[in-house]
Amino acid sequence: MTAPGTLTAAVRRTRRYLPMATAGLHTLLQYRISLLTGISSAAVSTTVQLFLWRAIYAGAAGGTLGGMTREQMMTYILVSNLLVMLLANRVEDEVAGEIYRGDIAVNLVRPLSYPLLRFFACLPVVGTNAVLAGLPLAALLVSVPGLAGPGPADAVFFLAAAVLSVLIGFAVNFLVGMTGFLTTNTWGIRYVKGSVAAFFSGQVVPISLMPAGLAAVARALPFQSMVSAPVRLFLGQYGDGREACWILGQQAAWVAALLGLCAFLWRRAVGRLEVLGG
Amino acid sequence: MTEPTGGRMTEPTGGRSGPLRMLRLTWHLSGVSLHRLTEYRLDFLLGAGSFVVRLTLQAVVVGIVFLHVPTIGGWHYHQVLFLLGYSFLPRGLDHLFTDQLWEVGRKLVQRGEFYRYLIRPVNPLYLVLSERFCYPDGLGELLTGLVTVSYAASQLGLRLTPVRIAVALPLVVCGALIHTSVKLLFASLSFWTTTSLSAMTAANDIADFARYPMDIYHGPLRWLLTWPLPYAFTSYVPASYLLFGSTRYLWWTPVVTVVALAVSYGVWSAGVARYETTGS
Repeated sequence: MTAPGTLTAAVRRTRRYLPMATAGLHTLLQYRISLLTGISSAAVSTTVQLFLWRAIYAGAAGGTLGGMTREQMMTYILVSNLLVMLLANRVEDEVAGEIYRGDIAVNLVRPLSYPLLRFFACLPVVGTNAVLAGLPLAALLVSVPGLAGPGPADAVFFLAAAVLSVLIGFAVNFLVGMTGFLTTNTWGIRYVKGSVAAFFSGQVVPISLMPAGLAAVARALPFQSMVSAPVRLFLGQYGDGREACWILGQQAAWVAALLGLCAFLWRRAVGRLEVLGG
Repeated sequence: MTEPTGGRMTEPTGGRSGPLRMLRLTWHLSGVSLHRLTEYRLDFLLGAGSFVVRLTLQAVVVGIVFLHVPTIGGWHYHQVLFLLGYSFLPRGLDHLFTDQLWEVGRKLVQRGEFYRYLIRPVNPLYLVLSERFCYPDGLGELLTGLVTVSYAASQLGLRLTPVRIAVALPLVVCGALIHTSVKLLFASLSFWTTTSLSAMTAANDIADFARYPMDIYHGPLRWLLTWPLPYAFTSYVPASYLLFGSTRYLWWTPVVTVVALAVSYGVWSAGVARYETTGS
């Protein structure tokens, strides 16, 4: 097949999944209230963190911590919580729920790839969260003096990193959802993943402030590519363009590895799935 | 809890919902729950373990912060750790007995399943709660809390005099009841809105403010956490007493607890009455 032919085929394949995105949007509009939940949770956790770090900086000698000024830290917290909203794609709930209820059978008889279907269905959730979280953030960055807004290059790097972060977030949540094949109590697993991801992604404490051992663990896990990496690019905490590309490359490697793992485990899991009843 | 809701449930014989019977049933049903644990060991490990992981990481965050600064809002490392650990205790105790309220807010009203709590000769609220007595997830919270508090107290050289213990235990119970009240209030909203999970989650999230000393927050926020959503009484007020002997607000604790319970139980009763009249 020629290259344009492959492209047309890919476009045609993608178009089959667009109704999934529309359906995802419809679901979202049905459950508007759960959107509010996400926003209120993000608002509370951001506020707690802002106050906590304000108090911490009041006691910090020299006014910097881990090389960050107070204003940079405030920006760090705002941007990292924005990213967390982009990562709240509900994929783990959907996948685990469909496995638990057996609804997954319906999606398996369709001539579609289930992981792709889930990906397209979560796009409206991510998009809506991006708008809902992005606009207030942009307003804050412009209106509050002293907050560290990004330079043009930082902004471009950040946007690329945010897209990769969303992909990693999808893969991680898909993997977590698939634990529904192993246990019906996926609530506990989802809760643990939430806590571990929040900590090791650098959302709660920047990795640069962690003691060496914990920081090494954090750098070896994919979570830091979800929050810490994009925020560093946003704040311009990189030497030069090459280092920025290196950060993006690491993220891309995690995307490839985790999506590959999703596809592999999915095939294995479906092979041994049994759904009862009719 | 001794009075059947709104008198709508007909009582076949007097005293069937008496406090003694409730206590006996609670004891019995808790035993049943604990038996269930031995049957579903993985569930127990996942549920309780998830809280151990989460709370341990929260303690680690405090540890990391104090690597860089000596005090936060005037509190030293082990004092903040004590406060954090203490905040787990009322939450864990509440969690142990009232977790089923989440299901009321999430789906029981929405799916019309709530009626089955109304057709038995027991207070409906008691019946709802009884489904998850001794819910294992709460054990993880209590355990982590006890370990954290004991460690912090030993590092602080805190002497637990009999008076302090005699005050501390009721304070934990009051704190748990405040958590229960907030949860009950927001779960009861589902009688009007069919599901209130988001409101419950939001109220539950706000409890996170109580993990740190109130001194770090602005005045209006402190006021919000002291009176409308009285989470200050679940950790900051008791911990200030145990650490510094500060009795400011301490004697408000029982008052706030009783008022919170009365308000939320009132809303719950009104909601139950409303549910019945819709004839779902």
